[in-house]
Amino acid sequence: MSGSNLRNVFAALSSLWLSTTALAATQLTELYEPVPMPPGFQVVVSELEGPVFADAKGHTLYQWPVKPLRNGAVGERKGQPTCDHTRYKVNSGLMSPYPPGLELPEVETRPSCLDVWPAVTAEEDAKPIGKWTIIERKDGIRQWAYDGYALYTSVLDEQPGDVNGGTLRKTGGDGPGTRKPVGPPPMVPPQFEILPLLSGRMLVTSEGNSVYASAKDSLGKSNCHGACARAWKPIAAPAYAKDRGDFTIIEREPGIRQWAFRHQPLYTRVADEFFHSQRGSDEPGWSNVYTQRAPEPPSDFTVQDTYSGIVLADSRGKTVYVYNCGDDALDQLACDHPDSPQAYRLTVCGGGDPKRCLETFPYVLATENAKSTSRLWSVMYIDPMTGKIAQPQQPGALRVWAFRKRPVYTMWRDRGPGELHGDSWGEFYGYRNGYKAFWLRDDYDNNAE
Amino acid sequence: MIDFRSLPKVALAALALPLLTTAASPTVEQANKAAAVPEDWAPPGGRIGYVLWDEYWGIRETEGGKEECPNGWNIGPREQFAILYPDNGKKRKLVDTQLAYESQVWFPDTRPDGFEYHEATGKYALGIDLDGKHSPEDFISDDGRTGIDNQLFRVVGCVRNYRKEGELGIITTKWRQQNRFNRVVFELSNVDSLKNDPDVTVSYFRTLDHLLADSTGHFLPGGSQRIDTRFGKRFHVSTKGRIVNGVLETDPVDLELPELALSDPSIIKFKGMKLRLTLTPEKAEGVLGGYADVEQWYYAMNTSWATHHASYGQASAPSIYRALRRLADGYPDPKTGENTAISAAMDIKLVQVYVIHPETESLMSSR
Repeated sequence: MSGSNLRNVFAALSSLWLSTTALAATQLTELYEPVPMPPGFQVVVSELEGPVFADAKGHTLYQWPVKPLRNGAVGERKGQPTCDHTRYKVNSGLMSPYPPGLELPEVETRPSCLDVWPAVTAEEDAKPIGKWTIIERKDGIRQWAYDGYALYTSVLDEQPGDVNGGTLRKTGGDGPGTRKPVGPPPMVPPQFEILPLLSGRMLVTSEGNSVYASAKDSLGKSNCHGACARAWKPIAAPAYAKDRGDFTIIEREPGIRQWAFRHQPLYTRVADEFFHSQRGSDEPGWSNVYTQRAPEPPSDFTVQDTYSGIVLADSRGKTVYVYNCGDDALDQLACDHPDSPQAYRLTVCGGGDPKRCLETFPYVLATENAKSTSRLWSVMYIDPMTGKIAQPQQPGALRVWAFRKRPVYTMWRDRGPGELHGDSWGEFYGYRNGYKAFWLRDDYDNNAE
Repeated sequence: MIDFRSLPKVALAALALPLLTTAASPTVEQANKAAAVPEDWAPPGGRIGYVLWDEYWGIRETEGGKEECPNGWNIGPREQFAILYPDNGKKRKLVDTQLAYESQVWFPDTRPDGFEYHEATGKYALGIDLDGKHSPEDFISDDGRTGIDNQLFRVVGCVRNYRKEGELGIITTKWRQQNRFNRVVFELSNVDSLKNDPDVTVSYFRTLDHLLADSTGHFLPGGSQRIDTRFGKRFHVSTKGRIVNGVLETDPVDLELPELALSDPSIIKFKGMKLRLTLTPEKAEGVLGGYADVEQWYYAMNTSWATHHASYGQASAPSIYRALRRLADGYPDPKTGENTAISAAMDIKLVQVYVIHPETESLMSSR
């Protein structure tokens, strides 16, 4: 089966993606609990990360939670912002085995933390409300905080709903200390949680079991009884539970109450062997439940099975990779974006040789008329000899696909669909300076999370 | 009524067994009878499966490496870095140091790096005669078999990470046991006697289930393993074999061994893989030998062991790569003549399981 056919079949059956039109329909975006906010702030429902706080211009707000690294911790504790105007010149030695004190790449132009993570400042007359408080920083800046943690915006975000500075998804145990977007609590009952994935925001129970819905059910009515209900356990709603947002309660039989999401009765799968499973979606008529699906990738892409799960692939079926990078200075600035130093990427894709990188991890080229239908995916021009953003008319510039404003790649050893030779390539398993496959589902490990 | 949600997943799999087992699977009575090991016992239906739960790269170790590593152990990334870039007050750039070293990890070459590399030596090694030839570099097994091909022993025998004391030795077994990506079984069919049978079929599958263990963590025979018919299809291979005095030997077959480590789903690719296993109705133990694809083995090593973790066991990737290429002894590239694979052996342990074959393929997304 060709990749495109497989993709169509898979999309039709498992509905990994959500069309942009559907995304725009507000009822299919995630609902959130209303929280008191200071004047000038808002909630924007982003395409991948769901509802996030934003400033008056729509810029997403981020926090920098503490993360332990190999030789120490980075990030911020409550009421103690560390992101400042310091321009770090050398690495910190927090990532073994390499020592501290080594001069960082492009040190002359290296920005400070506050240059790329502007603090969200509070006006003189601003007043705390709810979980929103104001921190008086040592440098004199009055900075907004949420739940005690200082708030920042990202210079990578341009429009409302952009969340290019960070993600709620896992970034690897040995990945850099990344920033996380912050938003209001999701409007889900306490029995449920939301798992952020590249395919969308998947609903799981608070114990970690995946939540499923059946195409054989009617809206507000379960048709799963007997043997079906023994294999697919209806998620019971406690007697005290009430309808809330997209969650309603149906009565399966007198006194037996079952949760429904958007009127679809909800179940767990007894045969699921592990948490966050998507195996139930292989069963005819059953699918995982998402509070919000990610926008569909551009038509240049396909979806392929590998020996560990499902990945995004290019039009030929070759696995697509994202590049991850964070430097080892105390402010842990990202180096995964074309505007950041490319020395890291050029090391792991070509031993420092950009020409070799074009052979080993080539960019996924965008066709001449290719357009994205979402903010998540975009087409950008890259100077292949520097790896940095180029002007469209620049000689030799490549027109490439980018996800969250970062180019995506294939790998030279992958000869066809399903091959996976570039996953975890680079420092610390591809999380700190290297490549990870664009995982949509992993039945054997946690790569998709 | 049993509350399925209150049971651990392992228990659920065990409960499901009676529902899923094919007609060829034995009854409890048969299983108990099998435990008695009659002289010429044959498995029910001529079929018996074994699931892999323990593996070590085949290194014949003597105390302190006296025999095989008379020149001592190899040094690792941390020691090499300190020699290359001594802490003498000189200002250095990350590009010229850390990234230069990582360049060598990901794009190694075969030029001498200035570090002496200690290959394992001696007459004896674990393994199998893979090529039917007796070459000067071959070893002798402890049970007197000659022509043993295991050049990987020379490569990693004096790298502490690969010895039983090393982190890899401890953790690889843990991964093999705990990570579902790594679950594989060998199933013997057409078996008339587990003692002597000149013609058996040996099939290899990736499977889906946990290992069956007792309360002390020992793995027990009698578990079940469902074949992974979706993402594991590529792993399925079959070959022929023969059992002589309770020892199975197989014909060569190309085989891929899933080897998920810290996060990367990697694979060891063996060409011309052969098994030599001592069989009982409850377990199988012995050697898996074959020619490991050098580039794939190196890639799997690096994506399983970051430079940080490799430093624990003093495993320098660039130095190991040079040794791999220097000692590779099989499957020459038709254009360059350079060997692309290296003979290797794994010391493996397996426990009996019932292999559950799907009667029909019904996954919608696999159609």
